[in-house]
Amino acid sequence: MIDPLAIGLIVLALVIALVSLLTTALNKAMGNVLLVALGVLELGLLVQAGFLIAALVRGEGPAETATLIGYMLGTVVIPPVAAFWGVGERSRWGPAVIAVAGFAIPGMVGRMMQIWQGVA
Amino acid sequence: MNETADGHDTPVDTDSGHEAGAAVPSSGDGHGIGSGPGRVLVAVYAVFALAAGSRAAVQIARQFDEAPLAYSLSAFAAVVYLLLAVALATGRRTLALVACGIELAGVLIVGTLSLADPAAFPKATVWSGFGSGYVFIPMVLPLIGLYWLSRRKQA
Repeated sequence: MIDPLAIGLIVLALVIALVSLLTTALNKAMGNVLLVALGVLELGLLVQAGFLIAALVRGEGPAETATLIGYMLGTVVIPPVAAFWGVGERSRWGPAVIAVAGFAIPGMVGRMMQIWQGVA
Repeated sequence: MNETADGHDTPVDTDSGHEAGAAVPSSGDGHGIGSGPGRVLVAVYAVFALAAGSRAAVQIARQFDEAPLAYSLSAFAAVVYLLLAVALATGRRTLALVACGIELAGVLIVGTLSLADPAAFPKATVWSGFGSGYVFIPMVLPLIGLYWLSRRKQA
């Protein structure tokens, strides 16, 4: 697992969550900025998943492989689903949906880092 | 029971057009329990269904014998969360109410038992310690859900 990438993903997800909350607070619907940011986040999560899969194939995985894969799949699935679900709501509650995803991702990536370091 | 047009995948606002989606807050857009703030509830329940469900799947598959009760409860909680997400998203109010009640009972009972008899729960579930492992969101969530469902009935 690449720590700088993981930390970058956590920060980006938190920024997305905060901007989403702000958008909700200002009573605005989803804008393109949030969607693009979600896309970038998803790309980063996919890259991380790629590195994780490569490491697991090489046999470098931690003891808790199944849990790690579970979290990895979760992080990859959440942003697109959240984008779909948030765009469908043309009110302030659309970005609030994105905020939920934005707060879920850091928790999951953080757990992945813990599991990963359990081996090292 | 207001079973609003089940088979349709469009939200329940039948009068407002699709394209002219000005961000007017909560105009008379029906009383769909899956729209507006309900959308956020669906998202939170979906995340918890995913979290509790995958956790339970891994635990049951690998070490079910260690704590069969706790792991079964995790799986049960995941099913309740998933049921709630689907019920809210598809506007099934009665199902949502029932699932919310089960959720509240579950977190109260399991939370109390996990503190009163820790030996019975050697491994944590989402509902252990009233959801303390998940910043008490599992405890607050059913209350918000019930409040939301009651508010939407009056609307």
